[in-house]
Amino acid sequence: MAFSGWRRILVNRLTIIILLVFLLFLLGEIIFPGFMTLSHIMSILRLSVFLGIVALGQTLVVLSGNEGIDISVGSVVSLGVVVSAYILGGQNFKIPQALVLVPLIGFAIGLANGVGVSYLSIPPLVMTFAMGNVIEGLSLILTKGFPTGQAPPLLEVIGSGRLFGLIPYLVLLWILFSGIAVVMLRKTKWGNVLYGVGTNSLAAELSGVMVKRFRMYVYAMCGATSALAGLLLLSYTGTPYLNLGAPYIMPSIVAVAIGGTSLAGGKGGYAGTAIGCIALTTLNSILVAIQATEAIRQIVYGSLLLALITVSERRES
Amino acid sequence: MLKINRYVKEIYNSTAFPGILIFLILIVINAIIQPGFFTYYSFKLNLFSFTPLILVSISQALVMLVGALDLSIGAAVSLLTVFMASVMGDSPLSIALALILALGAAWAMSLFNGFFISYLKLPPFLVTYASSAIWFGIALYIMPTPGGYIPRSFYKFYRSDFLGVIPIPVLILLGIGIIYFILSRLKIYKHIYAVGGKEEAAWASGIKIHATRIKAFLWSGFFVALAAICLVSETATGDARCGLGYTLNSVAAAVIGGVSFSGGKGSLAGAAVGGVILGLLINILYFANVTSFYQTFMKGIIVIGALVVGSITRMKEQTTS
Repeated sequence: MAFSGWRRILVNRLTIIILLVFLLFLLGEIIFPGFMTLSHIMSILRLSVFLGIVALGQTLVVLSGNEGIDISVGSVVSLGVVVSAYILGGQNFKIPQALVLVPLIGFAIGLANGVGVSYLSIPPLVMTFAMGNVIEGLSLILTKGFPTGQAPPLLEVIGSGRLFGLIPYLVLLWILFSGIAVVMLRKTKWGNVLYGVGTNSLAAELSGVMVKRFRMYVYAMCGATSALAGLLLLSYTGTPYLNLGAPYIMPSIVAVAIGGTSLAGGKGGYAGTAIGCIALTTLNSILVAIQATEAIRQIVYGSLLLALITVSERRES
Repeated sequence: MLKINRYVKEIYNSTAFPGILIFLILIVINAIIQPGFFTYYSFKLNLFSFTPLILVSISQALVMLVGALDLSIGAAVSLLTVFMASVMGDSPLSIALALILALGAAWAMSLFNGFFISYLKLPPFLVTYASSAIWFGIALYIMPTPGGYIPRSFYKFYRSDFLGVIPIPVLILLGIGIIYFILSRLKIYKHIYAVGGKEEAAWASGIKIHATRIKAFLWSGFFVALAAICLVSETATGDARCGLGYTLNSVAAAVIGGVSFSGGKGSLAGAAVGGVILGLLINILYFANVTSFYQTFMKGIIVIGALVVGSITRMKEQTTS
């Protein structure tokens, strides 16, 4: 309230992140001329979609408080990829089946996470870390190391096609998802309850919310979105590979933190996360382009997360 | 008779009871499926794989006792093996240097985590998750593939027997026992429990919160360094990924051993027993001929099982007290 007009826009988190994305693109353009062409920007946006969907579930989990975090998202994405390919087997008419089953499997895994976190009071990071290993093992068991099946033609069109030859269908899908997410968080009773549970679970409990059950379902939703991200990832790659989800774990958390969602829960939203995902994907593209190894990327993401929590979590306490 | 009854009751009610029970059951199962479980050879073989696990479990327990959590333990162990394997040469001086470097680096990492957790009051799980990525990145940067050099004399020594009968790891564990005995009589040990139990009360009674926490982290770092030294002696290579599994295993072992996530409850001895239990469980996977595809899955299930059993015991405790 104290801020008005220009100052308020300047200190707005979203403005800062959008500026950050722009700066990253500028940096990319300086290193690699042609980085900022429209078609390349669209490619980066399309790559951001998978992270964006994973980070959607992550945002919900983080918002629900209680040190909420989900490390199993990576393995669930990986499982989503191989299971989708297996169910689809390259046939268009099986798409509805996959669209129902794959998120359902993710939902069930998330539910198990939720039971451990909510009812058994296992710290979320520990619980989901362990679950991640189990699911990684499950992918191995199901595929025997060699994933079979592939994406059907229709799904591949969605994965690699572009509207008017410019805007990727996946990006349109993401915009739709983001819209639904933002409305759900801001305008529905469910969203209200989520913020309430994240800010002060005791108060929420006293006002009649079944906090434990509610939180359990939030983890289940995160599982479902991650599995769906796996299905979308398959639409892009066409053929399944093992462990495609692992590179999304750390960025999904960093994206939430960049987006201004408090990792202590209860504060933030999806719009920031979504733009954070674009920023991270751009950063990753630059890192890949300058041939930074896995080692460098780990150090960059680790330091970034540490810097972000130092700046934001400290200010709140 | 009454006295025995009281002892039985005491054991039954202690936080370590489920652990001890599982431990005995596991010994029986292992004795059945592992050929020659009670032979000297098997004992030594198991000892080699259990020692680092026991050490990281104690290390994790120390951090958990002050109400924190260290998810960077696995990456720290890996990084230390990489450091040692890159520094070591054949000369005794270079070996000594590598060992000092390992301890120094372990303490530096403890201080790093401790600074962010204690002084900046950031959530431990986030700080150590982030630092874990940094340690892993550095290790991978130095050694993209496993390698380095560990002199023959060094790992031969680790695999040798003291006086021809006592394996070196036994000596190390004995040494840990002595350190534990001394540590449990130091003031810092009481302070660790006080800080982990009720921070405000500890502060009110004049205990330096930050200093205590940092000291706990430094002790934890000492055990991490020891674990890395044992591991590198066993494998004779530096490997950026070799320790990663210890992160979750150490947490699971501490929890089986009765250490609580909220701090102040449990003991280092319990965590050590938890480490042995976990080791015996993982042993079953190897000797029951579980196909390699199932191993990741089964190991994960074991860890989740341990966490669930630990938390149910904890809840039982909370309702009875």
